[in-house]
Amino acid sequence: MTSTTTRKFHKDRGLVSRMYLTMVMLGVLYAVFALFLLAAGMQMIFIGGIVGVMVLVQYFMSDKLILMSTGAKAVTAEQQPELHKMVKLLADRYDMPMPKVAVIDTPIPNAFATGRNPKNALVAVTSGIQQRLNERELQAVIGHELAHVANRDMRVLALANFLVTVTSFLMTMLFWNMLFGGMGGRRNNNGGGIMMVYLVTMIVYFIGQLLVLALTRYREYGADHTGAEISGDPGALADALEKISGTVAGIPDKDLRKLQTANAFLIIPAALKGEGSMNLFSTHPPLQERVKRLRELEQRMRYGLK
Amino acid sequence: MGLFGGSKKPKDDWSTMSTVVKAEAKLQALGEITPSRRAGVIYRNDDQNAFQSDLKNELNSVLYVGDGATKTAFDIQDDDRGMRWVVLEDGNFGDLVSSVYTVGNAIGMNDGADNLLAAVFELYFTGTVEDNTYRSGLRTYWIYRYDRKAFYPFVPTGDSEGDRDRPTEARLGQDLRKHGLTIEKSLTEWMGLWGIPF
Repeated sequence: MTSTTTRKFHKDRGLVSRMYLTMVMLGVLYAVFALFLLAAGMQMIFIGGIVGVMVLVQYFMSDKLILMSTGAKAVTAEQQPELHKMVKLLADRYDMPMPKVAVIDTPIPNAFATGRNPKNALVAVTSGIQQRLNERELQAVIGHELAHVANRDMRVLALANFLVTVTSFLMTMLFWNMLFGGMGGRRNNNGGGIMMVYLVTMIVYFIGQLLVLALTRYREYGADHTGAEISGDPGALADALEKISGTVAGIPDKDLRKLQTANAFLIIPAALKGEGSMNLFSTHPPLQERVKRLRELEQRMRYGLK
Repeated sequence: MGLFGGSKKPKDDWSTMSTVVKAEAKLQALGEITPSRRAGVIYRNDDQNAFQSDLKNELNSVLYVGDGATKTAFDIQDDDRGMRWVVLEDGNFGDLVSSVYTVGNAIGMNDGADNLLAAVFELYFTGTVEDNTYRSGLRTYWIYRYDRKAFYPFVPTGDSEGDRDRPTEARLGQDLRKHGLTIEKSLTEWMGLWGIPF
């Protein structure tokens, strides 16, 4: 294997610049929306405070939240010696401390990592993915997940998600406010004003959501790239993705009856649903695109383009 | 009778739905599938629709009157998600499929084409799936979506949304396609129906 000290990753410039552009756009959206709310006379501190606490809890407790909400069980080196060995080897290559290792007992193949920094990281795999992938492929999947930790993607996304969480929270509040006409009291009796705020909030929410999704996709390609550099074997992750997705990853959780009743109002803000981990599939770029990029990278690495 | 409804021509679902009989026979010969006696049609009931509001009598004449009548037993039930089911029971799988088609077709022909969601067949599966685990006589549903005109397997493992046995569904989907069933190509359209009332 190559050296275990920190390696200099060669960056995908287009990707990095698109990523920063998205972040700048999000920042601008934040600022404009804050100004708009101030002008409309909303109590910013109140909303910011509640959401801030929510995001902080998620940010600092993500590993525990994930363990609780997914049924992942932490496993010791004695229980799963090979998995531990593999994670340790990869963590060494990233030059990061050994993360917590967990297993979820389900046939559905998946893996994820969480943690605000490498010191508080957790990586989890399902028993389904362990059964289905060979060692080389599983190593590539864990490498991809550790790349998220190394790139501090959870921190970036927590920050980016802040606005989306604020707006979805606001939408819920405003919706109930319009229904029951409470809260605002005597100060704000014009329903038109509230309607206006609601509409703008909705628009900001959707734009914010799109930007966050774009950002997530860029981080995803980034983790594919970093993981491939670390392993020196981009084809392994491509193989793993193809193997898994060919069968089950696309089968949805959704009920057919929802087709007819979709697009109701958003009642539960996304942030309350215990997101905040990097899952191998959700909100990911199209699989074919990821596989294609990995195969290209494989070619480039094989023929010595450093 | 909404602004946009009512004028649509009923579609021909028989060419797709009839392939289920052959596929079932082949898989049963291989020892992989045993049919149950049950199937159903799920649709969104419309109280304004004359045919639907008198469904029991209408179906009695459609399923029981005439020379070729299958005389399949049926029952009408509402689920807890606001949909109505016609649950059918027949020991002859061919007759069962034909009755399911007839019920859907009758609803569709009477201004209800847009209300039809799916036809659902219940079958038992035995075999090894991709993650090397074995299923013995596992209850599966084969869902035919009227809007997509295609089948896909559905194997719930519980009543809450998302509880499904994906490895078995994947395996079954491949086998059914191999044996001539029109399978929904886009996996993301394989939406479940949790809490099927039969």
